[in-house]
Amino acid sequence: MRAFSLLAALAVSATASLAATVQYDFSVEWVQANPDGAYDRSFIGINGAWPPPPIECDIHDRVIINVTNNLGNEPTAIHFHGLFMNGTNSMDGPVWVTQCPVPPGSNIIYNFTVDQPGTYWYHSHFSGQYPDGFRAPFIVYDREEPFTYDVDTYLTVSDYYHDSIPWLSANKFLILTNPTGAEPIPDAGLFNDSQNIKFKVEPNKTYKIRIINMGALVSQYIWFEDHDFQIVEVDGIYVEPAEASMIYITVAQRYTILLTTKNSTDKNYPMIASFDTDMMDTLPEDLVWNVTGWLTYDENGDFPEPALIDEYDFYDDFNLVPHEKEEPYEPDYSITVDVSMQNLGDGVNYAFFNDLSYVAPNVPALYTVMSSGNDSTDATIYGSNTHTYVLGYQEVVEIVLNNFDPGKHPFHLHGHVFQVIERSDASPDDETFLIYNPDEPGTINEYPMRRDTVYVRPNGYFVLRFVSNNPGVWFFHCHIEWHLQQGLALTLVEAPAEIQAQQVIPDDHYAACKAGGYGFEGNAAGNTVNLFDLSGENLQPKPLPAGFTARGIVALVFSCISAFVGMGFITWYGLSDLKTTEREVAAIVGEPLDDSDESK
Amino acid sequence: MANSEYFDVSVFFILFRETLEASIIISVLLAFLAQGIGNTDGDLAVYRKLVRQVWFGSLLGFSICLVLGGICIDAWYRLGKDVWSASEDIWEGVFCIVAGLIISYMGLAMLRLNKMKGKWRQKIANALAETDGRTTISSFSSKYAMAILPFVTVLRESVEAIVFIGGVTLSASPTAVPLSALAGILCGSAVGYSIYQGGNHMRIQIFLILSTCFLYLVAAGLMSRAVWYFENYDWSQLVGGDVAEVGSGPGSYDIRKSVWHVNCCNPLIDGGWMIFNALFGWQNSATYGSVLMYNLYWVAVIIAVCLMLYKEKHGHFPVFNKYKTVADDEIDMTLPRSIAGACAPEESDAGAVGPSSSTYNDPNPYGLGSSSSHLLSDVDDNEIGQSSAGTSLDVDRESLRSGTDAADDSDPLGISCATVLSAN
Repeated sequence: MRAFSLLAALAVSATASLAATVQYDFSVEWVQANPDGAYDRSFIGINGAWPPPPIECDIHDRVIINVTNNLGNEPTAIHFHGLFMNGTNSMDGPVWVTQCPVPPGSNIIYNFTVDQPGTYWYHSHFSGQYPDGFRAPFIVYDREEPFTYDVDTYLTVSDYYHDSIPWLSANKFLILTNPTGAEPIPDAGLFNDSQNIKFKVEPNKTYKIRIINMGALVSQYIWFEDHDFQIVEVDGIYVEPAEASMIYITVAQRYTILLTTKNSTDKNYPMIASFDTDMMDTLPEDLVWNVTGWLTYDENGDFPEPALIDEYDFYDDFNLVPHEKEEPYEPDYSITVDVSMQNLGDGVNYAFFNDLSYVAPNVPALYTVMSSGNDSTDATIYGSNTHTYVLGYQEVVEIVLNNFDPGKHPFHLHGHVFQVIERSDASPDDETFLIYNPDEPGTINEYPMRRDTVYVRPNGYFVLRFVSNNPGVWFFHCHIEWHLQQGLALTLVEAPAEIQAQQVIPDDHYAACKAGGYGFEGNAAGNTVNLFDLSGENLQPKPLPAGFTARGIVALVFSCISAFVGMGFITWYGLSDLKTTEREVAAIVGEPLDDSDESK
Repeated sequence: MANSEYFDVSVFFILFRETLEASIIISVLLAFLAQGIGNTDGDLAVYRKLVRQVWFGSLLGFSICLVLGGICIDAWYRLGKDVWSASEDIWEGVFCIVAGLIISYMGLAMLRLNKMKGKWRQKIANALAETDGRTTISSFSSKYAMAILPFVTVLRESVEAIVFIGGVTLSASPTAVPLSALAGILCGSAVGYSIYQGGNHMRIQIFLILSTCFLYLVAAGLMSRAVWYFENYDWSQLVGGDVAEVGSGPGSYDIRKSVWHVNCCNPLIDGGWMIFNALFGWQNSATYGSVLMYNLYWVAVIIAVCLMLYKEKHGHFPVFNKYKTVADDEIDMTLPRSIAGACAPEESDAGAVGPSSSTYNDPNPYGLGSSSSHLLSDVDDNEIGQSSAGTSLDVDRESLRSGTDAADDSDPLGISCATVLSAN
């Protein structure tokens, strides 16, 4: 026994000391590609290739990514979705939260360790950029995972727009002639950035398939005909294997499944990813909203068309039980936000948490933390429109989100996974809203599911809880890129004093700011002298005028005056005598002209 | 202009006005008969017969108009339905403009109806005298002359009414037409009757003024709404069909063109505000276009009134000198031939200008073809009303006055020979 434990200890330490450094050099460039066979378009690729390469490492490795922006016309930044960046908040990536945008021609180095196993992905976190192609898997291998399999592989799904996102945003989406905020409809779906893929499988093997949704808008239903599977990991959290035949995966989520192949190689089986069409405002007739591939047992066999199904019978991730079980936390601090979509004074439809639509500050919030000394705990300095909450250290934070929008939204919290305490059903109709009532709780599981991206149902709510054990500035936002552009985000400044004490911003990050002419110290307005003077900060557009403005009153009064004057003239006309005709008639008829008002 | 399911303001006013004119003509005719024939004992039977003719003619004309109207409206609705929905806002806008123009056009003329009684006296006298070659009124060869005039008049007025109603009801609900039409006819008859009775002129004139003011308010509202409909069409083309979803809240209008917007009081969905919209053109979301149109319309009305007054005073529109008269001595101020002949006038020594026995041809004895809304232009039709006529008429008046007794109430129409002769 002792020998065994000694051996085990040796093995562990050997593994630990084997923690390697994985280095990548990324040159971010425009690349031509044609994933759905329609036509070539420009994509953001890495090192001349699209799709971008996956980043792979082992748990406890150090990852260093040296990024050079060779796009020429757009800034960029990379976020590593799902990684905690513990102690290295500056490597998290969202612009204006933890870094400045990296201007064209500039360079930035992301350097961090990964201490969590599982399936993640990396993508641009600059202003709606990633659906133009800048996204790929980030796989963290773990030899000690609690299940066995034969092959470890990944499968990505995505929606695909033929047009570039900045163009769509400026011309079709964030404009006053789109008052309902209808999101642009994707043009196709992709499996592994392609279509009709042949997923080579051998019989009688267990495949661990890491499924990642790298899309911009639509959630997808995924199933493999005639094959059931087990869900074993979601968003980097191992779960007790759950039998399922279909999953519902929102953008930014990951599901890892174990799929055991059949005995024989006589048939190939379709695998399908199908858009959740509820999330699209309209359904164009020419849109093919399924993407198909095949579990290919026999490359020379038939590739049958997928069968139609009657309903989507997917596994509700709320019921997953984490492998490392935790009981529900009791909250120390609670944040309640109501989600709504409204029009502001420029006629454009924006997204709101309560009454604030997120507008980026002039200085990244993390840099404000670093340059604000003792004032870092006052939420004011981070801006009026960044919707910032300052959190304490090692507290249980609760986020209650009530959805007043009749759409589904996948929300993501940087730097953490959270317990999903409750998630309501959709409300029965468009007019009712289900609101969280702590005195009348809904279903709470004994061991709540944990992940980093979870969706809320139409007109429903959810409740999340996490422990603020990771000092840093963390973004909480809807992961639908369109909604993020509409401002559906808020900022959590978690333990700012600890950030100041424990973390350092690398020089090359500041250099990127200076190269772009961006502010890198001071409050949200860039004011380094008086942190509470926010003049010059970015604010959301003015609200629509409610009722009569001065202009309206003037117009109405003037119109009334014209009407009265006009009627006055008519009256004058009516009362005036018709002298000429009377005379003539009198003359002809030969009677005396009668000027009196008596009628004849 | 569907301001309610059962009543339509435009239809009411059109029928009111047309009935008013027709009833004036009929009442004049009846009074004429009463005076001309009813007095004479021997012709009482003839009188009654002629009266019956008048009524018969009018009612016949009216019935035919009902039939025609029914056919027209039915045909229109059958054809018109499908063309409708594709670009509803454009149709609505066009109809509002048509209705507005129609109302504007006939509105001002209403204010001269009362004073035109004298005009009609003359026309009817001409007409009656023209119908037969004989010179006396009391013996008719064409028995039904008294029926033909009202028949034709009523028919003409009715056809006008149908055309106008066709124009304004394209957007109204069919159920609104009968009640409004009935109300218009009743009111028109009532007012026509009271004009016939010779009631207080002032009161009738005030009533006419008020109803005309109201009419123009409605027309101004219609023109404003037309512009609003066109702009609404533009906006829904830009947004592409989501506009309906948004109701009357943000996004249902173009904020770049908005002058005011309130989220309540939407005339498209709210009954009370719908009436406010029908009467005054109220919109909960007004644009620069609709407000400007409203004000410009009133400016146009004011200008029109000023021009009309100018013309009446001077005989022509300002600047338009070519409508000026011929020289004084060429004025053709003639009496109707028959009257002149019947009453054997002596040569007047009133001067070079004055009523003479030269022939007068009323080219239009029954007023056929000329729209009765051209009451003002009727003045021109008869080639009277030239500017220099003013001076000559003044001369005439003097001469006439000298030889005339005071107006005799027993002859309200002043047609009898005695009056004519005494004037000379």
